[in-house]
Amino acid sequence: MNKVITINLNGVAYQLEEGGYDALRTYLDHAARRLEGNPDKDEIITDIEQAIADKFRALLGAYKTVVSTKEVTGVIAEMGPVEGDVTEEAANGAATAGRASAATDDTGREEASSCAPRRLYKIREGAMLAGVCNGVAAYLNFDVTIVRLLFTLLTFLWGTGVVVYLLMAIIVPEARTPAEKAAASGMAATAQEFIKRARAGYYEGMKSFHDRHARREWKRKFKRDMRGWKYGFHQQMHEQSTQWQQQWAQHPSPIFGPVFLAPLLSILLFLLVVLMMWAIYSLVTVHAVFGLVMPSTMPLWVGILLVVVAYQLVAWPIKSVRFACYYPAPHHHHGGLLGGLVGSLIGLFFLGFGIWMMDRHVPEFHEWLVQLPALLQHLADVVKGWFAQKG
Amino acid sequence: MSLEEKFTAIRKGLLEFLVLKIISANQVYAADILKELNATEFATQEGTLYPLLSKMRREELVDYEWKESEAGPPRKYYELTAKGREALRETHDYWQKISGTVKNLGQK
Repeated sequence: MNKVITINLNGVAYQLEEGGYDALRTYLDHAARRLEGNPDKDEIITDIEQAIADKFRALLGAYKTVVSTKEVTGVIAEMGPVEGDVTEEAANGAATAGRASAATDDTGREEASSCAPRRLYKIREGAMLAGVCNGVAAYLNFDVTIVRLLFTLLTFLWGTGVVVYLLMAIIVPEARTPAEKAAASGMAATAQEFIKRARAGYYEGMKSFHDRHARREWKRKFKRDMRGWKYGFHQQMHEQSTQWQQQWAQHPSPIFGPVFLAPLLSILLFLLVVLMMWAIYSLVTVHAVFGLVMPSTMPLWVGILLVVVAYQLVAWPIKSVRFACYYPAPHHHHGGLLGGLVGSLIGLFFLGFGIWMMDRHVPEFHEWLVQLPALLQHLADVVKGWFAQKG
Repeated sequence: MSLEEKFTAIRKGLLEFLVLKIISANQVYAADILKELNATEFATQEGTLYPLLSKMRREELVDYEWKESEAGPPRKYYELTAKGREALRETHDYWQKISGTVKNLGQK
């Protein structure tokens, strides 16, 4: 039994075995890379997809609805490698040798480009001001609220936050096109790109009809197809999510992810939330957190903000590791766990840096840090006592 | 090195000429061109033909027209432009000259 993936080639859905899907994707990626810089790149890719679709159609029938991996590799072999500039290569003479080395070169770069590049943009959707925080949050994969809080906090340091925000609002470009929006959060814009390409083809086609009637017919057909594609993508998403669920049911413990860690991390996170609640509670009632007395000059809400930020700083690495446990590297996306670890390391670095800065510059914090072990001991004793009482 | 390998570059160089010739006969779509080529020593694949066709269109040698097909979405049917016909004539003359040279050289 093989997993099946539905793809959309110029408006028609085809079902491929997973291996075939991977092969086709690699082929199209290679093609796109070879055509880099060619002004007709999009059009050629569309033509190639069309040709592949024609070949698939010839293979399928009423009782055969899935293209097998072997058939896909066969079709790809028939298509042959996509070449950059034909005349240029002919001039180079040693075409075969050149292509062989280019092929190995391409596989080397495959790893690097398998993750879509991420760029810093301003994102207007759901923005409060200019969308800077939104963009930064998407870029760092943070929650937008944390970024906003950080900017607000920075404002207390001689207004740094406001200055930085204004500068970024001016410098950072805004994500306008769908592709830019996708790049802002590091997603590949395949779906949007596809529709964009289809539109380009539509206008191209429009030009060739001189008869008004034919043009109207073309337009109507395009609109119908467009709806079909959108539905197709929707359908595809839905099917993939179903497949994921099935995979979950079949393999409760994926190969890469130490899933047993996930519940532990969840418990840890829950405890952290409880700790934060308790900290806020004690801040409101006795103006102190774990024995650290709030300076009388500091307003209460700043204290609460600090507690929340501290919580997020501690929770973020845990969250990212937990996320990596749940989504251990889907087939074309490498390093899920690794990414989580790197994220958590960065988080821990910031946490350490923050503590170090506080330790150096805030004497109250330093004192509190010094007596922290004793405090924790006390806390543990309290918990132990509570359990003893219960037992 | 086999003859086939030796002539790789020459075959590639001639491809544009042959595509011009095929398109000049009648309106064709890409698969027709491939079918005609694949019956000869100039067997070619889509991966080569599509970039070539788009380059030729950029150079205004060929143009295409969308036409409905009985199976599947509309197809691009290619035809020569005036410039393309001119290029074909020139290339053809040049080719005649070369093949004449090849034939006559060394014969005394």
